[in-house]
Amino acid sequence: MCKFGKFLKKFLHLAVGLYALLFAVFYFDLDGKLLFYVVEPFLCKHYDDMPRKDVLKTEYSMDKFPKYEYGK
Amino acid sequence: MEMPKFKMPDLSKVKDIDFKNLDYIKLAKDFWYGKPHGERRIGDLYEEKTGLYKHREWRGVKDTFYYFNMIWLYNYIHMVSDIMRFNGLGVFAKGLWRYRWVGQTYLPVLHWFDRGMEGMRGEALRASAWHYRAMVCETIRQFQRMFAADTKLNGGKRNELWYKTIAHDETVAGAIFYPWRDELDDVPLQMIPYFVTCHVNSHTVLNYIDAMQSIGLPGDPCPMCQAESGIFVLDDYPDYSPVLVTSNEACDGSVGTSIITDWFWDKPLFAMPQPMQFDDPLVQKHCRNEIEQCWKFIEEQLGVPYSEEQLIKYQESFNKLTEFEQEKWEVAAKTDFYPINGVAQALYRIYYSQDGDRPIWHEVDAHVRKILTKCVENKINPFPETRHRVIAWSCAPLYYSNWCTWAYNCWGLNCIINMDSLMFDIVVRTDTHEHMMEDFTIYNEWAPMRRMAVGGYKHIFELWENKERFNCDMVMMYDQVQCKGMDGVHGMFEDEFRNRNIHAIWMPHALPDKRTVSREEIRRLINDYMTTVMHEEPLDPSLLDFDDSMSW
Amino acid sequence: MKDLKHLIYFENLLQDANNELVQKAKADGKYALGYTCYFMPEVLLDLPGCFSVRLRAPNCTSPDIATYYMTARTCHYGRSLFERALEGGYNFLDAQMATETCTVTCRFQEHLQMMNIIQNPKFFCEFTDIPFKRNENGYEHYRTQLQVHVLDKLHENFGIDTSDEALMKAIEEHNEVCRLITEIGAYRKLANPTITGYEFQCIQLVSLVCPKYLILPYLRETAKEMKTRKPDSKPTWRCKVVLYGSENDDPEFTKLIESCGALVVADRHCYGSLPGREEIVVADGQSPLDAITRHYLDTSMCPRFMPQDEMRNRKQQLADIAKEYKADGIIIEQNKFCEYWSYERTIDTIIMPRDFGIPVCSIEKEYINGASGQLRTRFQAFIESVEIKKIQEGK
Repeated sequence: MCKFGKFLKKFLHLAVGLYALLFAVFYFDLDGKLLFYVVEPFLCKHYDDMPRKDVLKTEYSMDKFPKYEYGK
Repeated sequence: MEMPKFKMPDLSKVKDIDFKNLDYIKLAKDFWYGKPHGERRIGDLYEEKTGLYKHREWRGVKDTFYYFNMIWLYNYIHMVSDIMRFNGLGVFAKGLWRYRWVGQTYLPVLHWFDRGMEGMRGEALRASAWHYRAMVCETIRQFQRMFAADTKLNGGKRNELWYKTIAHDETVAGAIFYPWRDELDDVPLQMIPYFVTCHVNSHTVLNYIDAMQSIGLPGDPCPMCQAESGIFVLDDYPDYSPVLVTSNEACDGSVGTSIITDWFWDKPLFAMPQPMQFDDPLVQKHCRNEIEQCWKFIEEQLGVPYSEEQLIKYQESFNKLTEFEQEKWEVAAKTDFYPINGVAQALYRIYYSQDGDRPIWHEVDAHVRKILTKCVENKINPFPETRHRVIAWSCAPLYYSNWCTWAYNCWGLNCIINMDSLMFDIVVRTDTHEHMMEDFTIYNEWAPMRRMAVGGYKHIFELWENKERFNCDMVMMYDQVQCKGMDGVHGMFEDEFRNRNIHAIWMPHALPDKRTVSREEIRRLINDYMTTVMHEEPLDPSLLDFDDSMSW
Repeated sequence: MKDLKHLIYFENLLQDANNELVQKAKADGKYALGYTCYFMPEVLLDLPGCFSVRLRAPNCTSPDIATYYMTARTCHYGRSLFERALEGGYNFLDAQMATETCTVTCRFQEHLQMMNIIQNPKFFCEFTDIPFKRNENGYEHYRTQLQVHVLDKLHENFGIDTSDEALMKAIEEHNEVCRLITEIGAYRKLANPTITGYEFQCIQLVSLVCPKYLILPYLRETAKEMKTRKPDSKPTWRCKVVLYGSENDDPEFTKLIESCGALVVADRHCYGSLPGREEIVVADGQSPLDAITRHYLDTSMCPRFMPQDEMRNRKQQLADIAKEYKADGIIIEQNKFCEYWSYERTIDTIIMPRDFGIPVCSIEKEYINGASGQLRTRFQAFIESVEIKKIQEGK
């Protein structure tokens, strides 16, 4: 078999294998399980621990903004 | 609530199967075509509490591979490609790491598809999923634009995109900014951080509601407004624009939210309220003037002149979407051939009409049109198990927008149309400037919720004529327990349902907050009505009672 | 202090919407026009031939039937009004001049339209659209609305004279009421005020719920009486407060605050006088309707106003009131389930102490509150904290 043929055969094997793997992930909801049990808890912990600005210290200036009114 | 532990599948039951006496012909048929509705037992697929699947549904070879290829794979691939084409992976990664509402919500988006498409087959599966695809694409476009312009992700710097992005309340119609669509972009402030998150992952928003209450807001105001303000309290909005346009749409709560929004946004803000009594011809000039004032504000603040040409261009483009929507309603009202399920109808309609004209809506509508035409021409009934045609009225529960999918699978309740789909229902004339402004003004007033809920009790009672129009025999009466406007007419609806002898199920909920009335409670109420009042048996008993308390 | 001569009479008038003076005016052939909101200019409803009645539901603690119609999750004030209407308490009304300014009162008034509640064949309920901004667009809109939905309706239905001359007459009478109330209210600015918040609120309320031409003689006498009224030699109060917030037409609530040791020196709430009792000025060449339009939009401090400068300015206005009336603190109250005031109260509770150094007591209340032990505890604690602050500041 020529080189190209061998390459094609290998490629097809890989493609079919990948497709089957993806189908397994899809069918057994492995993406959902990974997200639910691993990714989301990890990210939520990160968000919970993030330092956050104290927004209650945001300035509230009385005359910072004008009246936005425009002539006809 | 304690996190449930991951369980490996229980394979021990395999040894209990009597292989000698199996009906292999039935097995082969079920494998090829998928089980008939009454045998599916979709509820058995759920893992306890989490809403995850032991395995996804087998819908027959054709539909399972359609789902795998054209929904699951297609959307995962397109989500990546959308991120790449809308400002890139680096921008996305920074936004994901910074903002809870991205990381906690939008990664499990395919499960949102799963919940909405459960039990769907054939044309219903195809058409409904296209609508979801459009919403995903537009969601990505919006948050990528926010992140690319965001000073919080760019070392505090205001880049060119920051100066070219208009932020506005999610309840301000995107159409307002058509005159600048070619030079600037308008991105609603709360739609992606709040509104869409509630449907995809109902847990995210709870952080924001609690945050707002932690600074002293009582618990009773509309939780939508609480969440919108609460995102500020946790400093979780991107800083992506030099301005903000607010509105009183839909109600008092939105006015209240703008008080808090102004404080924390702390940048030039233009309030563009719509009149309440919008049927009154006398209010139109006033409303139009406010829109024109808003346009002058945008010109002044962003330094880009108003373009009538762009307004007409995008309005005419959007008119095509409206016209197609009206065609869809004709099919939905007069036939059994409408292939869009209740959740896709409701979410897609509110999303695209509120957001305004975008290419993805047209792309998806082209797909849906083909499917719709096929159904009508070939008289395909995409929902053959329909026992009752339902019209849903008032504000829907965002954390259980897919209740209609469950209700169809369990009880044959087919939600044909809902109240919020029926707003913005006007094709705006563009033949003259005066005509355009007349219609555009009305368009602006006929916004979600307010079109029916304010401006006179006649509007909220349009339920009766729409029930007739869509040939529905049942009403799902959403009862948003924190909506003062709807609470204020609760008794009148009770009286009218009785007087008109209408089967109406009240569905209490707290909009995005699943803690007040759980999904399980909603199902219980519907189950009770269907058994005690309608004396019906469920199509799929496995869906009657299950625990999805921790589900997205 | 010496009792005010007419206080008991005023208290009695406040026990019933269809009070003695309302009945007299009806007997005189005048039309009774109900309203709920400051945005419905009472001066227009006091044109010759008719009189305004700002609706209250005194002593309504249990609006059961209204709760069926409007659920228990709506403002008690709106439900109480509805309950009183269902009981027949408003059958004297000839019209309800309605506004869609807040959801719950709007729904109450829609029920008046939907159901045959007011037993009066001539009764009608007409809605007026109110702008959310004080700009030229808002003034023009408001003026048009008042002309068509108030004046024209009064003329069409009852033959009321709505000419400029009639409006000027109504303004004149209205301004006299305002002058008298303002004069009486000014005594609250004294170092040792000669009128309590409770007394003042009774006076202010009767001016809202009784026909002007019949209550004026009593107001004139009260104003005259106030000129010579002496304060107690030793004040009975420990601090002065501004009462700020949402709808409040229950003098027992003010009495509750004052029984805890505070003196309510300024009433910045719906049904209060700040705003409410500023005179309407008609400039040369200005139409009276235009003057009325601008007056009501310009004086209102309702959290319904949405422009950025106006939202922020409300806090400055509140601070200015506290300064003008020499208040030591502010009690910010809201009716439970009031959406506007939930947000306004939240921000004020943070901003007033933080930026203006004014202590705040922030509370939610029901429509009728006299017996609330919880509120009493909150007020007592607040008053003590204000006292301690004054001592620390050497005042």
